This record gives sequence, C-alpha cells and structure tokens, in this order.
Amino acid sequence: MRPTLELENVSRHFGGVPAVDGLSLSVPAGQITGLIGPNGAGKTTVVNLITGLLHLTSGRVLLDGNDVSRAEAPELARAGVARTFQNIRLLPDASVLDNVLSGFHRHERVGLWANLLGLPSARIETAHLKEEAMQLVERFGMTNLAKHRAGGLSYGHQRRIEVMRALAMKPRLILLDEPVAGMNDAEAESLSSIFRSVAAEGVALLLIEHNMRFVMSLCSHLYVVAAGRLIAQGDPQKVSSDPIVVQAYLGS
Amino acid sequence: MMNFFYTYQSLFDHILVNALLAMSQYVVLRAGVFSLGSAGFAALGAYCTAILITAQAWPPVAAIAAGTVLGTTASALLALPLARLRGVFQAVATLAFVQIVLSATQNWESLTHGALGINGIPHVAGTATLLGVVVVVVLLLVTMGRFGLGRAMDVIREDEMVAVSLGISVPYIQRFAFILSGALAGMAGGLHATSSYAITPNDYGFGLLVAALAMVVLGGRTSVWGALVGAVVLISLPELFRVFADYRNVVQGILLMTVIIYLPRGVADTLISMLRDRRLRHEVVPEKP
Repeated sequence: MRPTLELENVSRHFGGVPAVDGLSLSVPAGQITGLIGPNGAGKTTVVNLITGLLHLTSGRVLLDGNDVSRAEAPELARAGVARTFQNIRLLPDASVLDNVLSGFHRHERVGLWANLLGLPSARIETAHLKEEAMQLVERFGMTNLAKHRAGGLSYGHQRRIEVMRALAMKPRLILLDEPVAGMNDAEAESLSSIFRSVAAEGVALLLIEHNMRFVMSLCSHLYVVAAGRLIAQGDPQKVSSDPIVVQAYLGS
Repeated sequence: MMNFFYTYQSLFDHILVNALLAMSQYVVLRAGVFSLGSAGFAALGAYCTAILITAQAWPPVAAIAAGTVLGTTASALLALPLARLRGVFQAVATLAFVQIVLSATQNWESLTHGALGINGIPHVAGTATLLGVVVVVVLLLVTMGRFGLGRAMDVIREDEMVAVSLGISVPYIQRFAFILSGALAGMAGGLHATSSYAITPNDYGFGLLVAALAMVVLGGRTSVWGALVGAVVLISLPELFRVFADYRNVVQGILLMTVIIYLPRGVADTLISMLRDRRLRHEVVPEKP
C-alpha cells in the first residue's frame, strides 16, 4: 500500500540559504511517524511545505500518490491534511466549542444563502456539527470547559483544543507540530493515548518534536533532521543510539 | 411620551439610517476586510435614488431598490481588484473609491447639481419603514453569525493562516462580505435620501467614512449589537449635549479615544463577554482530576 504522504528530495531555499535540503520521507496510514531534530533544523518549514503555506524550491510532495507540490493551502486542507501549530493559534475570544467547530469547515455543505437566511438546512447542519464537536470535547476531557473562552485556559488545554480542531477536519493526514510542548507528563501521556487511537482509525500522523523521550514511546519510525538535511532514520531504538544523532543533539 | 417622540423623531430616523451604515461597515470588518468603502456606496445609493425620483419620476420604492442594486454592483466590481490587496492597502484602495464617487457628485453638475445637491426629494421613508428595515437587517446578520459562514468569517478575521489551514476560501468569503456591505450601504443611502428631503456631496464625505468606522469601533466589531450601540451613542450624544455644539468633533474624538484605550473591544462586545463570563461562573462545575 502506498504511504499517505511522500516527500521526494524536497528542498526549500530562503534567499539562497537552504532551510530544507533534499529531504525524502514517507508517512504511512495507521502509524505515527516522527520527525525530530534540534531547534532550527527546519522541522516547521517541512510542515509549512506539506500544508502549502510555503512552496517547494525543488522536489515533489505526494498525497496518496497524487502530486500536490503546487497545491495551495486551502486545497490541501480540503483534501484532508490537518495540522496543529507550534505557537498556538486559536481564536482567543471564541469558546472552546466554537474553536473546535471551525475545524469542521471542510465538511460543511450548506451554501452562503442558506447561512444568511438561516434556512433549516443550515440549522440542522450546525446542530449536527455541534453534537460531533461536543463528542470530541468529551474525548479530551474538557466537557465542563466547552463554553469557556479559549484564550483564558491553560497552555495544556489550548494545545488540546488545537488537536481537537485538527481532528474535527476528519483528516487523512495530521501534522502535529510539537503538540506537547509545555505540557506536564500526565497531560502528555493522555494526549499520546489519543494519538494512538487516532492512528488505529487509519489516519497517518506525522509528529514533529524535539522531546526525544515522548517520540520514542510513540513513533514506529523516526526521521532525524539537522540543518535541513536528513541525518538518520529507522526505528526509535536504532536512531537513539546512532552516534550522528547523539552528536547533532548534544554537539561535539 | 408621544411628545418626546415627536421632538426627537428626526434624530431617531438619523440613528436608524446610520445604524444601517454601521452594519455595512461591520460586515466587512467581521470578515477581516479593512474596507472604508461604505460611505462611497451610500453616496451611490443616495444619488441614484434621488435622481431617479426627482428627474425620472420613478416610484420611490423602485428608486431605493435601484440605489441598493447600484451599491451592490459597484461593490461586486470593486471586490475584484480588492481581493489582491491586504489590510491597510484595502483601506487605501477603498478610500480612493470614496474620493472618486465624491468628486463625481461634486463635478457632474448636469446630473447631480454639484455642491447644491438635490432638493425636493419626497419624504417617503418614515420612522416605521426605517425601523422595519433595521430590524430585518439585524435579524439577517445575527442569523449569518450563527452558522458556518459566521464561523469562517471569524477565523479569517482573527488569523488568516489558520483559515487557509482549515480549508476556508478566504477570497470567496471576503468577496461575499464586501458585496453584502455594498448592498447595505447602497440601501442606507437610498433611505437617507428619502428621509431627509435634500442631499449634498458633503453628506457622504470623509465625515461619514469616519463616522461609519467610529460607530463600529465604539460599539464593538464582533457582534451586530456593537454596530447598533455605536450608532445610537455616536449620533445621539452630540444632540443631547447641544451646549457643546461648537466642540462636537472634539467631544466625539475624546469619546473614541476613551473607548479605544479602556474598552478596546467596544462597548457592546465588552458587555456581552462580561455577561457570558458571569453566567459561566454561576454554572461552574469542579473539574475532574
């Protein structure tokens, strides 16, 4: 079976400086793949390239075998590519529920006029999506916070809302950009069990982290980048004992 | 009671017309378009309505409808180049549009009578009509905010990067908001012409542009109520404090600055979120460990 996402020799230069340089990787469905590397390695650039926020200098990105190298961000989102942001980007004044609801956009089928006039089709759709959103909120243990302002909640809660919004898209591929940064171990553990269950549903997950310990327990395959280049890959045990990886992380 | 009403009837009409204009400004701001075009669309609507009634003897209702259509058409055309611009550049482009409309009303004398304006417009839009229109528009905009379209607009306004990552087509939604804004402003213009006997280019100049923006900033940008509250406050305050008539602009400026500094989200939005927080505190449930 083809992997959900494939990067073939992908490069991105900023004014001649390569942020990502000849990177190839694949993210299969039903698994959690890790992309790790020290700060400034180009991890977030990779996410922005895959989601169409940035465009490639060279190489190809394939989504289920289709070339999406030139696709714009909204097209990719509609094709089922979801992401979370490293620096949390929520609607701070909207409620938790409304933040999650915004993730359902790609599944909304009701037209502008039905929305404007409040026709029954729009009412039914929103009622239905609210139910689904509440189920998500419940799965993340935040039912009693559903009506609260997202901006007033703790860091850990806000990260969870980001993940909920991405899951609301019912994506085929999720890019998680440091989803547990700033969380304590218990919070991170509850989130990783959710990631495992999402993978079990057949979704492809790409986890971007620099927290080695968290990645080790969760990922089936790891890619290590440093200065925009792939320096190692393989199963977590093998990668963590690779001297090149140790050197990149600890310096020489 | 009725005496009070008759004394302030024209003020009340004025508030209602301005509320429509404020809602036209609110719609674009809600969708994250920094448009200043409402005053220009209102001028088009007003002049179209006034000319059709006085020179062509159209029935007033048809003339107001034509004014609304003209505002809609102009905004639909302007939306095309505007979609390529962002933020402050949208503001500059729409400002230029207002200037073009304004100089047309001043200089196309055969059609608009220049600075003299158009007189003798029948007063057909009474308080009841205006109130009815405002209520319908408020209902429409409240409804719009409750479903997917309103959610998409909120995301675009707050964070365009998130919007595109969720698959929202930013140009499509912004174009819709801009055209809706043009329609509302065109209608506001038509109703203004038919509720004030005479119009001159000065009615739709820089002052109106600032007023439209000020009403929304004063009231609040995220709910329709903000536009309404802004219109009531900004239009009625100078009338109630007539003793300060000479300092009208100064009072208005101080009021705006105070609100921007102390209630940056606007009067209505701040109140609404305070009420929401209070309600939540009352029904708070201890969190599960």
